[in-house]
Amino acid sequence: MNRRFLAFVGGFAGIAVAYFLAMRFVQNPEIHSLPYYTFRTLLRITLTLAISLVWGISFGILASTNKIASLILIPFIDLLQSIPILGYFPAVIVFLISMFRGSQLAIELSAMMLLFTSMAWAIFFGVVGAVKGIPTNVEESARTFGVSGYRYVRHVILPAITPAVVAGATLAWCDGWFFMIAAEYIEYAGTAYSVPGLGMYLAKASYVYNDLTLATVLLGLITALVLYINSLTWHTLMDRATRGTYKPVFRLDLSGVGQLGVVRNLGVRKWLHVGDRIHWPRSLAAASHRLRKYTRLEKAIAFALAMSIVVFGVAAVAKRLPDIDTIRKGFSDPPAGELAKLPMYVALTMGRLGIAYAISLVLALGMGILAAENKKFAAIFYPIYDIGQAVPILALFPILFGVLRGAFGPSVGLELTAIIVLVLDMIWYMFLNIVSAVKNIPSELNEVGRLFGLKGLRKVTHLVIPTILPAIVTGSILSWGTGWNTIIFSEYMPYESTQTGKPLAVAGLGSYLDRAGYEYGNTVLLIFLLGVIATIVLSMEGLVWRRLLRRFERYRMEA
Amino acid sequence: MALLEVKNVTKSFPFEKGTIHVLEDVSLSVDLDEFVCIVGPSGCGKSTLLRVIAGLEHPDSGEILFHGKPYTTPSTAITIIFQLFGLLPWKTAIENVELPLEILGLDKDARRERAKAHIKMVGLEGFENAYPHDLSGGMKQRVGIARALSLHPEVLLMDEPFSSLDELTAKSLRSLVMEIWRDPALPTNSFLMVSHNVEEAVYMADRVVIMSARPGRIVGEVKVDIPRPRADYLRDELYFRRIDEVVGILQESNHKQVAAAAPSARP
Repeated sequence: MNRRFLAFVGGFAGIAVAYFLAMRFVQNPEIHSLPYYTFRTLLRITLTLAISLVWGISFGILASTNKIASLILIPFIDLLQSIPILGYFPAVIVFLISMFRGSQLAIELSAMMLLFTSMAWAIFFGVVGAVKGIPTNVEESARTFGVSGYRYVRHVILPAITPAVVAGATLAWCDGWFFMIAAEYIEYAGTAYSVPGLGMYLAKASYVYNDLTLATVLLGLITALVLYINSLTWHTLMDRATRGTYKPVFRLDLSGVGQLGVVRNLGVRKWLHVGDRIHWPRSLAAASHRLRKYTRLEKAIAFALAMSIVVFGVAAVAKRLPDIDTIRKGFSDPPAGELAKLPMYVALTMGRLGIAYAISLVLALGMGILAAENKKFAAIFYPIYDIGQAVPILALFPILFGVLRGAFGPSVGLELTAIIVLVLDMIWYMFLNIVSAVKNIPSELNEVGRLFGLKGLRKVTHLVIPTILPAIVTGSILSWGTGWNTIIFSEYMPYESTQTGKPLAVAGLGSYLDRAGYEYGNTVLLIFLLGVIATIVLSMEGLVWRRLLRRFERYRMEA
Repeated sequence: MALLEVKNVTKSFPFEKGTIHVLEDVSLSVDLDEFVCIVGPSGCGKSTLLRVIAGLEHPDSGEILFHGKPYTTPSTAITIIFQLFGLLPWKTAIENVELPLEILGLDKDARRERAKAHIKMVGLEGFENAYPHDLSGGMKQRVGIARALSLHPEVLLMDEPFSSLDELTAKSLRSLVMEIWRDPALPTNSFLMVSHNVEEAVYMADRVVIMSARPGRIVGEVKVDIPRPRADYLRDELYFRRIDEVVGILQESNHKQVAAAAPSARP
């Protein structure tokens, strides 16, 4: 208890000091609004989190207890989850801006909508997974003893979903920070729209004020803030929530008695209560859920729902129902002229993603295996992971770009930044999955290995890698999921227009989509491109990941 | 001098907020061509003892002597068969047997030949290319036996090898193990088995060593003088007498422990 209190007070004091120093020494007209911006961002994220929790829990319980609801909701939300959020964000912006005539409310709403969609699905699937995870014998005994309806929800379901909800909320919180910078400052049709907040300030620091020092300071503050809040709230909640669950909810719980002993003894760790137990609950539930096979009926319903939303969206913007004319117009207006280049764009974007994926896989394997096997490496890599996780990658983007642009020029700078940011983004999911899988290698296999002299590289190739292949696949699904969001964000920099009068972009699917949305407001084309992305994501899931996972499932040790 | 000697081995493990004393001053020996079986209740440290012997764990005090010299790291001279088989799920039966041979340094052809021969010896001819998940429990254990024996060890350790099998399969595997043990052509003739099944121990072993639980201690030993082949004596009075002896020692040590724990409970 005492330690926690110290961490709370100490961390708060540290951050307060940092803020004070920043406001004192940084020269910038807006610097004195820093606390206010922090407050707005925190408020925004917390509010949206609350809404997501309410929605996620109620609909999650509904979907897992009601047959019809599950038929409609689960495939549909699954579909929504597969589509990169930043892909449909431009469409949302266009829609809301035209509806509210570009007022503050529109931007605030769109920011919250973006955050909501990133948060709610994780919680929803967490709840659904947890309810399905209630052992049948518990269900049956509850039924025979007459515990049903509301009582059943209260006494059986709510306790069962608590770890998943806490996990989902932690995840949602982190995603909120991730998207915050994309949400708070938007350039649309040449005008800048923003809502007060840390993300907005960071974007302005990079693109309007061109002040890299300020941007770096802000990034540091954001990271410290995130780390501080994480270690206080979420880790504590997780500790409490995972007591008395049916089975280890988080196969990603990395700690064990004495395993992180070295880390625990480092004074800094103790103080910040960080790195002690890494409960990072990346949605394994969500990932494995995506690989469920849906019946034709479910797929049809999901598709129908998606289509109706699309129709509604286009109608609201164009003020009438989409008909052949609107569609034709959409496909003839700019930038439809570039449609011929679409295959090339797809190839370029997939290429960038592929390169970043390969790099992060190799790095994560190296770091992960070393960290899992060797305490010294663990002491190095776990803190790196913790901090790396906390840095909202999209927030790093402007700073990195600023630096690389100076060295390599704008176009190459943007390419390099995109790849680096992608790697930093993708690597954490892979790292976590790999470390957890290595630690979960059945002890018997380890003993067999030691007994028969499996050491070093041989051990890695014959024993470690085959065991962790399923984890690599789930990690890859999550990595690619977040990668799509990042690449859509990274390929297009509208903020340059305030400088050179022209937005900067590298050729690719992401930039094409962004341009269609932000520059031309061509909703039809935007939705079409989104459909292209969705198709790619879904086919990768079906053709690649699902197949691989099924193949590697065979390698699992039967209990 | 015995082939394998366990001398005063003590071992504890840290556990949540304390320590568990798993083994306390355990000593026993296995002679050449002997079949020794350790029996004891669950949690008495039998498996830990085997792992210490195999070199997988280090005792807190005491030592293991093999041919009179300390034995501290795993080697092919002493191999183990596991309760849960321990096969690599992504390798076929023959690949599982070949892997340790590869590490031993045999070339491809030699490996394949030896592996094939041992798979045949355990009665799995035709199943070389099957994966573990295609095999039944008994078949998996046969692969485990083939793998352990293909290294031509001097001592074979067995950690409750038949506990995970149904009784019928266990019966046939027991006969297989007895055949292998008796076979003079095979280099491995000293077996040390751990079991919680007294009937099985008396059926198979020359000597039954009895262990108590928490902490694990040797509390007695019964020499099984039933002539071999033992299959002929399974209805014999001598068989049941030896079983009763073992059970008697187990129960006595159990009573002593209960009494020691709650002396005030006696009226």
